[in-house]
Parts: sequence; structure tokens; C-alpha cells
Amino acid sequence: MFILKLLSTYLKVNLQQDLAYRADAIVNMVMSIIGTGWDLLGLSIIFANTKEIGGWGPSELIALMGVWRLVNVMMATIVWPNTEKFNTGVRDGSLDYTFLQPVNSQLLISITRIVIWRAFDLAIAVILIIVGMTGGNVVTSPVQIVAFLALTISGAAIIYSLWITLISLTFWFTKFDNSVTIMAALMDAGRYPAQVYPYWLRALITFVIPIAVATTVPLQALRGELVDLQILGFLAIGVAAVIVSSRVWKAGVRRYSGASS
Amino acid sequence: MFAIYKQMWLVNWAEQWQYRANLLMYLAFWLVSPIVYLAVWTTIASAQGNINGLTAPDFVAYYMMLLIVDIATSDITIHIFAYKIMDGSLSNELVLPIHPVLQKVLVNNLAFKALQMLALVPIWLILYVLYQPVFSITAVNVLLAIPAIAFGFLLQFFAGTTITCISFWTTRAWSISDFYSNIFRLMAGQFVPLALLPAFMQTASQLLPFRLALYFPVQLLLGKLSIEETMLNIGLQMVWCVILFMLFRVVWRTGLKKYSAVGA
Repeated sequence: MFILKLLSTYLKVNLQQDLAYRADAIVNMVMSIIGTGWDLLGLSIIFANTKEIGGWGPSELIALMGVWRLVNVMMATIVWPNTEKFNTGVRDGSLDYTFLQPVNSQLLISITRIVIWRAFDLAIAVILIIVGMTGGNVVTSPVQIVAFLALTISGAAIIYSLWITLISLTFWFTKFDNSVTIMAALMDAGRYPAQVYPYWLRALITFVIPIAVATTVPLQALRGELVDLQILGFLAIGVAAVIVSSRVWKAGVRRYSGASS
Repeated sequence: MFAIYKQMWLVNWAEQWQYRANLLMYLAFWLVSPIVYLAVWTTIASAQGNINGLTAPDFVAYYMMLLIVDIATSDITIHIFAYKIMDGSLSNELVLPIHPVLQKVLVNNLAFKALQMLALVPIWLILYVLYQPVFSITAVNVLLAIPAIAFGFLLQFFAGTTITCISFWTTRAWSISDFYSNIFRLMAGQFVPLALLPAFMQTASQLLPFRLALYFPVQLLLGKLSIEETMLNIGLQMVWCVILFMLFRVVWRTGLKKYSAVGA
């Protein structure tokens, strides 16, 4: 209850902040629509030259695009803006005030800055997923849909946990504040099924920066390519990632000594 | 005049050299998408034998060359200048006898580029061993590529600065910059060699300036263009550079009048 109240307060403050740049927000929404059309055009260029890529058809790639955008929405709404805020906080010591609050500090640094209008992208992502799922001629069972949804959420949680871990490392290595950039750079690799990539890139986006776990894997579940044990395994990794990252965060906070000291 | 550029270069070089680790991170931005598209198109090409006559090795050579040209002609003005308009720190630079954009941002861009190139060398060599591209490079093409790349960069630099200057009116210009890079991705050949675009988009890409900044120098280095075509394209580059430079000057002048330094 308290957390909900906190969240709604932050949403309100952030809404007010975003309203200061109305033109930017509106232009951004229009650009999102155009960008989606542009991405679909890209897909149509691919499928004008081939029937399938790595065994995946057009509707599956549309659904993949939706899941990829879903992860991107999380990044754009919470991860990037709060990283910026966090880095400033470490540098000028304003992070002290965050730790003085009687609230879980990890929650607080994750929601201080929320770029509200990005919720609009969420709608586009969901539409793409639905269109992709219904467009194909593959019969999907309810179990596969549930597995898909669960893996999408746990995939996003893994990416979020990686982010928490990376920014926690700033407490040990002050010069580490740009490690998050590597996540942004690798995001593009999530647009296409990981099977297409050479083994080293696939290993990189599965084990190191697990973009593929958040994008390709849920789609594989939807295609019925995963056995139950694999699905449970990925979900377990999701839960483990959340637990481990919050431990790392807490250990990092204990090391924090403020900018001036 | 030249001394100013030289001094600024030294300062910039030293400044950016401090952040070597960050440079590697930023380099990843230029690396990932060409490698992704290379993977996508070679997968399709090897499954079908060829796409419109382009075989898997053709795609490998294309994207390996694109990796170099993309860094050489890209512009990072929005990343290093937009926030100065937003938070008002541009005011400090306006009182200096140096042009904040045409001198400071330009040199900053070049120093960043030079370091990125340096960092690219070992990575490119590893990729070379992995993919074994086959190039047919001639000395003439390399010589012609020097002006082609230089003008390609200037073209993007003036486009980037003009877009960044839109911040004078909207305070933020990121979305417009994203829009530009979206168009660039398809129209300049980052996504796919332009010959594979649908007919209407090919026509559009021929008329628009984007291809001059990337596709043209890449094709030139791959030895796909005749001398006449090359000269024509370099001429077109010059024309577009002048047009975009004029556009930048107009936007800069009217924008400065509009600029009120946030907080003032």
C-alpha cells in the first residue's frame, strides 16, 4: 500500500516534469509510430527476399519485434533516465539523501525518474505481439502462451537485475559508470532471432548481456521449441537474478561513503 | 586560425584519451548493428545461394567496409552539444573568440573519431580473421575515397548540427535526431545494400543525400563505381554540403536570437 502511494507520487512528479517538454513528448510519440512503420518496412524488405530467416517467418519476427520493443520500453522509461540520475547522485553526493529515506533504496533509485510518455510505446509493443501471434498459421496452445508471458516477464527481470548489478559495481569501481552503455549498444542484437548470429555473438547475448534471453527465448516458448524443463530453468534464472542483484546492491550500499568523504 | 584548431585538437585528444574505457563502450554502438545485419543477410544469402546476384561473401565484404566508413563519416554533435543548449552552459562558450560549433564541436568530433578508429583496428582485424572478406581495392579508389569520406562526414556534420540547433526552440532535439538515424539506417545502406531496396525506395535513396555519406564511399572502396560515377557523386556531395551548411547558418543565427540561456 505504502509502495503504491510512493509510486503514484513519483508518477505524478514525473508527469509534471515531462509536461514541461510537451512538444518533445508529442514529437516523440509521432516518431514512435513512424519508427514502427519504418521497422516493419525493414522486415518487409527482408521477407521480399526470403520466405524465412533461421526458420522464422514474418509473423514470428513481428512478435519478436514486439517483445524487443517491450524490453526497450523498460529501458527507456526507467533504466536509462535513472542511470543518469544515479551517476549524478554518486558524483555529487546527492545519493546520500536517497539512502536517508525510510524506503528500500533499490526501489527508490529505480523509480526516481520515469519517462511517462514512453507508456505509449508499450501499447505499440503489445499490438505488435498480438498481431504477430495471431498472424501466423502456427497453432499456439494456452500453455505456450502462458510460458511466453512468464518468460517475457522473467526476461525483463533479468535485464533489470543486470542493470542493478552494473550500477552497484560503481560503489566498488568509481570509474565504472559507463558500463551500462554496453547494454544499450547490444540492444540492437535483440531484433532478430539469436539462431541467426555467429556462435560468439550468440554466446555474448545469451550469457554476458542476456538480451536474447529476454527476446528470443520467450518467442521460442511460443513456437513450442522449449521443453518444460528449459522453461522452468529460464524462470529459475530470472528469480535467481533478482535475488542476487538485490544482494549485490545491498553490499554496494554498505560500501558507499558519500562523495565528500 | 590554424593554430586554434591545432591547440583544440591537442586538448581534445588528451581529454578523450582519459576516458579510454568509455571509448570502447561507445565503439560497441558502431559495431553491433553492422554485425547483426551481416549475420541476417549472409544467413539468407547462404540459404538461397544469392539475393539479386549478391552472395554471402559480397555481404561480408560490404559490411566489413561499412564498419570503417560508418565511423569515419558519422557525427556525434547531438551527444556533445545538445545539453549545452538545454542547461545554458552554451553561454560561457558564446563569449569566447571560438565558434562553439564550427570550431569546438568539429574538433571534438574529429578527435573522438580518430580514437574510435584506433580502437577499431584490433577489433576489425579479429573480425577479418573470423569472416575472411575478399576485397578488390585499388590505389585510385583509396585516393578518391579520401575526399568522398571527408565530404561524407561534413554532410553528416552539417545535418547533425542543424538538427541539434532545433533545441533552441524545443529545448530537446533527441527525437528528431532518432528520426534522422532511422531514415539513415535504410536510406544510407546501413540496413542493406541499397540495390536490394524495393524500387520506389531505391529511387528515393538516389534522390536523398543520405547515401552520399555512407553507401557511396563504401561502394567506391569496394570498386563498384566507375570514375564518372565517382566524380558525379563527389560533385553531389559538395552541393549538399553547401546546402546543409547554409541551412545550419540560418538555423544557428535565428536560433541564437531565440536562445535565452535557461535560468537567465
